[in-house]
Amino acid sequence: MPDPLPSSLPWLVRRDDDTQDEQRKTTAARARAMDAHVLRTAYFDLVGRPPFQEERDAWLGKGVEELLDHLLGSEEFWQEWWEEQLYYFLLIDTFRPETDSAQAVPQKLGEGRLSVRDALHRIALTSSFDLRNPGADTFVTVVMEQLCGMIVQKSARELELGKAAYDGGQARFLGTGANSQADVVRICIEHKQAMQHLVEREFERLIKRPIPKATLSEDGRRLFRDPYDYLSMVRSWFLSESYLDRLLNPVEKSNRLFIRGMFVDLCGRMPEEAEMEPMRYALDGLSDARPLRSVLVRLLLDSDDVELRDKASIDNPTKWVGEQFERLLGRRPTDEELKTFVTVFHAADCRPETIVYALTTTPEYHAY
Amino acid sequence: MSYQDPSRRDVLRTAALTGAGLGLAGSGLAGSGLAGGGLALPGTERKTKRVVFIAFAGGVRTKETFGTPANVPNMVDMSKEGVLFPRMRTANLGHFGAALSIFTGISEARGIRENSRGPDPTVFEYLRKDLGLAASDVWITTSGGAQQTNYAYGLHPEYGPKYGATTLDGDGIFNREFKDLLTRYGLPEPMEGGEKSMLDKLRKGIRTMGGGDPVKEAENLARIEEYILSELTRGTSDISGAGAGDAKALRLARNLLSIFKPKVTGVVLQNADIAHGSFNGYQEVIRRNDAAIGELWTAVKEDEELAESTAFFILPEFGRDRDLNARRGLDHGDGSDDLRWVSCLAVGPDFKKGVVNKDAHQVIDVMPTICDLFGAEAKLSKGGRLSGLYR
Repeated sequence: MPDPLPSSLPWLVRRDDDTQDEQRKTTAARARAMDAHVLRTAYFDLVGRPPFQEERDAWLGKGVEELLDHLLGSEEFWQEWWEEQLYYFLLIDTFRPETDSAQAVPQKLGEGRLSVRDALHRIALTSSFDLRNPGADTFVTVVMEQLCGMIVQKSARELELGKAAYDGGQARFLGTGANSQADVVRICIEHKQAMQHLVEREFERLIKRPIPKATLSEDGRRLFRDPYDYLSMVRSWFLSESYLDRLLNPVEKSNRLFIRGMFVDLCGRMPEEAEMEPMRYALDGLSDARPLRSVLVRLLLDSDDVELRDKASIDNPTKWVGEQFERLLGRRPTDEELKTFVTVFHAADCRPETIVYALTTTPEYHAY
Repeated sequence: MSYQDPSRRDVLRTAALTGAGLGLAGSGLAGSGLAGGGLALPGTERKTKRVVFIAFAGGVRTKETFGTPANVPNMVDMSKEGVLFPRMRTANLGHFGAALSIFTGISEARGIRENSRGPDPTVFEYLRKDLGLAASDVWITTSGGAQQTNYAYGLHPEYGPKYGATTLDGDGIFNREFKDLLTRYGLPEPMEGGEKSMLDKLRKGIRTMGGGDPVKEAENLARIEEYILSELTRGTSDISGAGAGDAKALRLARNLLSIFKPKVTGVVLQNADIAHGSFNGYQEVIRRNDAAIGELWTAVKEDEELAESTAFFILPEFGRDRDLNARRGLDHGDGSDDLRWVSCLAVGPDFKKGVVNKDAHQVIDVMPTICDLFGAEAKLSKGGRLSGLYR
């Protein structure tokens, strides 16, 4: 689960005097005809980035359902799914699987040639996974914990059986005969708790809140029966009441999403891997990444990679400031904000970069 | 000095000085907090103003540290200036859970690869909250990447991020790839006064809820931002090879001590876990880390202010298996004494010198001891205080 937001953030969508019901009605209406906030949030949730300018132009005012038709199951969606799974297993940096077969997984998911269960199975069989989790104790513990959501301290006997099988001995692990490392992985991935655990963590990842018990029970069984049913299950989540709640309650961006969003917002492009990985690795090294995020924003703004309009060419600062709020924060400025920003804009020491820097280093920009 | 064979004089002196503490050891109360051997006498003022708290983690057996003095000559020298506790009980909770328990004083199972914060407050939060310390007073440098930033603070509603330690992951930030990237883009120029003033006006003009001064907050962050940028030019990024992550974490701690003189500097090492595949590599990591700890200790001793006021606590989160695995490495999961019992070294101006305290304690006793040292209370911790520590 992402960390709880600082108390300064939840007002983002809430209207001050609205009751919870009114907020939900308003948000539901906005989901039927997406405004900048809903569109930006849905893009982040589905493909891990904000929309590009042309996508904003194409999708503003349209409904979430249509957007789901467009993005769910796309190659970009599966690529994002794959990256998030690798991060979940902490297969990052030097442990990232780089083989052709591993890199082909998102495409095969998109083509329906692999299910999500197959994809997780492939991850756990990579040499990267083995290197990341060396030794019987670590390997079997991680497989039980991360694939099945088990607490090994409460399943000490199963852990010992799994370790025996890992070392080549005959053992009855989780009720099934096993005598190899591959058997341990297969038994866990085919265990009913594996899909239940996947449903639970995927709901939290996408909808940003704990899954309701009934949904967990039903969707866990559903995915266990048919692991190819993942997309229709996710679609139902995005059209549920839970997603309306999610839209009302922004959460903090992970460092990975922050970097992707920063590049799209400032450079109009996605970061290259050679940019993404060192930046994410560096930001992940801080419990409070804001100082370094701020350095990165300045780095880009001072580079030739960001093309903001010359101050002299901005003939309508009120309109331009409003556009920056909507583009970067997904909302219109309040009257007071607009007045302040336009006044400062006219000062000789203020550059367009100053405005963008202020907006992209506000706590609001760190959430979505 | 060897942990296995403390001199008779050491033992007698320990017994004489700790008195009740030794007596309680057999009763099972030592380390329960009831032993009370660590409490200062009324009216005495402690000299300790700073603590360096090193989790010599990654799974390190005493056999390869104080059991093989040639591996750790610096820590052996330090032990002559402090107290060695060779009987510290641990729980095999995986690296993450076990190391986290050192900082929370609560042994609680956490997933090995779980990348989320724990529910309990850490030593950093207790100290920042109880003593009103600033973020720049409490740091933690780490070696193990994203997961280790979770040691900075937990999710307890009375504590949490606003009392967390400022965390730097040595290998995460100070690596060649990131430095090259910054060089390619060009480090940001300092903002001119006029533009800075405009920025402050803009920040004040953006609506926020929940109070707080956005400009002041930005200034606090800018100070840390400045430190990170300057550290990037100091050569930490150029450290490479086996154990580089640990070396960077210790190097950062040394630099932080000289610049900020923090009240608490936590360090979490991790590279010893190379032992799964290489016993020799594991020993090499221990030797390198001992050398770096020696440099850190020397730097403290050479600084008059730090020398008189800084205490060190060094301990692993757990040990390793008794026997080598098929790859001639050492795993951690056999439940042996080598895994479950580790050593803790405590050196500081208020502590005894040259003592081996063989009372049974727990690794979770260390953080309540540190809180007590500063006059704070680790009220949710399940650990006690180390008996037989104080002069």
